[in-house]
Amino acid sequence: MSIAPDLAIRVDGLFKQYGRMTAVNDVSFDVGQGEFVSLLGPSGCGKTTTLRMIAGFIMPSGGAIHVNGREVTHLPPEKRDVGFVFQNYALWPHMTVAENVAFGLKLRKRSKSFVRQKIEESLAITGLSGYEARLPRQLSGGQQQRVALARALALEPQLLLMDEPLSNLDRALRVTMRRELKQLQSRLNMTTLYVTHDQEEALSMSDRVVIMSGGEIARVARPFEIYEDPQSEFVADFVGTTNFFDGTVLEAEGETGKVRVGPSLQLWIDGDTPMARGSAVRVSLRPERVEVLKERAAGRNVFPASVVFIEYFGPTIRYTVETAAGERLQAEAHNISRPISIGAPVWIRIDPGHFRLIDRKGR
Amino acid sequence: MKSRVVSLLAPGVGLLVVFVVLPLLWVVRASFNRAVDGAYMVSAFTFENYVRFLGSPWYLVNTLWFSVRIAIVATVVAVLLGYPVALYIARTRGLQKSVLMTMVLSPLLIGLVTLVYGWIVIFRGGGLLNSLMIAMHVYDEPIRYMWDLKGVVILLVYIGMPYIVLSLLDSIERINPALVEAARNVGASPWKAFWKVTFPLTMPGLHAGLVIVFSLNFAAFAIPLMVGANDTQMIGLVIYREALLNNDLPFASALSVIMVAANALILTGMGFVFGKLILKRLEATR
Repeated sequence: MSIAPDLAIRVDGLFKQYGRMTAVNDVSFDVGQGEFVSLLGPSGCGKTTTLRMIAGFIMPSGGAIHVNGREVTHLPPEKRDVGFVFQNYALWPHMTVAENVAFGLKLRKRSKSFVRQKIEESLAITGLSGYEARLPRQLSGGQQQRVALARALALEPQLLLMDEPLSNLDRALRVTMRRELKQLQSRLNMTTLYVTHDQEEALSMSDRVVIMSGGEIARVARPFEIYEDPQSEFVADFVGTTNFFDGTVLEAEGETGKVRVGPSLQLWIDGDTPMARGSAVRVSLRPERVEVLKERAAGRNVFPASVVFIEYFGPTIRYTVETAAGERLQAEAHNISRPISIGAPVWIRIDPGHFRLIDRKGR
Repeated sequence: MKSRVVSLLAPGVGLLVVFVVLPLLWVVRASFNRAVDGAYMVSAFTFENYVRFLGSPWYLVNTLWFSVRIAIVATVVAVLLGYPVALYIARTRGLQKSVLMTMVLSPLLIGLVTLVYGWIVIFRGGGLLNSLMIAMHVYDEPIRYMWDLKGVVILLVYIGMPYIVLSLLDSIERINPALVEAARNVGASPWKAFWKVTFPLTMPGLHAGLVIVFSLNFAAFAIPLMVGANDTQMIGLVIYREALLNNDLPFASALSVIMVAANALILTGMGFVFGKLILKRLEATR
């Protein structure tokens, strides 16, 4: 099989079994040159196992891995020429920052002046100039993470693999490092495969996101597609918060239908496939797409409800509202208008175009 | 809070003072006394015991230097044999690990004297090993396994290995496996990764093991007594003979002081070398 040369990684039908347990089940995806792809999923979904198989730390039970057109499936890690950044940094504690960065170059028997220049360069781009003689334990977590990155970049790898590199940092630093990492990756045009369980990281940094669940791929798409059109219940639920509605189409007008979703609620839903009368549909509705109004307004899908629960997040407030018949939904509003208190009567308005059909086949 | 710490320390410190520090001070004092035939010893302040030892090439070479050499050889052999064992045990889990650990620790679970007598039953001229080998026609004449230098070294190695394995195992198991993976990732072969990452990181354990085993070997008494010969005059044995057979307590005391001082000197030198090599880096603080 010839592999398109512009693919940095191609993973084909990858399997990993531990005894009777299947950790990775028929996983296939690819990563283009210069692309930033995230493997996102809950713990135990197989994302780290997949990454470690690409690095060669774990041998697959089946399937094939190509890196830049070369099959590496069964090569030992030292023959793969891929950079790896570990969750716990994995800096060698008995080597200084400079020695950590130089280690791989010395193994390649590069000249002293070349090694010195590379140390200088990679510490400069990671903002660590002046820390050459420090030992890892004399650095903060964020600095250690930069050393780990410098160590990987010094070898100019064809590909950078990262295993939850920011998860051991506290939140403020994580957000800063996330930006720096993304900017650096764009500047160097470094092909990156990034494992995370943090959806914010995956959505904000990636060109494409591979969502995994139970050892299988649930979805591969660009961040906004994942969030705006999750397509499956797992993705809708795992990425962000959502309202699910199940119902039967009462009236159909092309791609729009009136759907009974509860004892009292009949909602106009704008799907992107023709609606058929009497058919069952399942939709997802993001809470920030629900308008909470103090007075009745014009439009379709306007109905009264009362606030039963309030979660204050700072920039936004999430209201759980309930209709007289007991149907509940969540609405998230910007924290700019006067807050509404529990028990207050409100009007809910939902634009029919904001619903997303779930579990569609053949797409 | 402080008084509670003191009260918790008191029993241990008290025991050390009564059973280690005071006897040691007594030995130091006794080493300056004079031995008199038929008497216990005469209180004095003389260096003649030290002069007698340090002025005699026989004592210096055949006792002190001999003991140092035997201790070094037995310690090095124990490390060479124990290191791979520790590496192997570190990879095992569960029942396999328990079985292997019990096997390694078994010499420590049996009293030394019982153990040596067991060895004698197996290794002596007409012992189990020779009978077996001759019966199986591996060789025809009994081979001498003990009552010589070889026997002493074999037993010292046997007793020393558990300490080496235990202290190395602790160091090996502390090493984050990702450190080795990181080395492989930047291009190190398994062998290179071992030498550049695993091995240096086991130095604290190796150092601890060397300190224990070298000290035990250097001061060995029971083993050279029970399986040694006339030419295996290790210093512990000589001290015993001077004190209990020749009744020369002052000279035995001086020998003891010299033994402790020599050991301290060697361990300090070893600590310095290890510190320079690696431990300082591993213990560095912010």
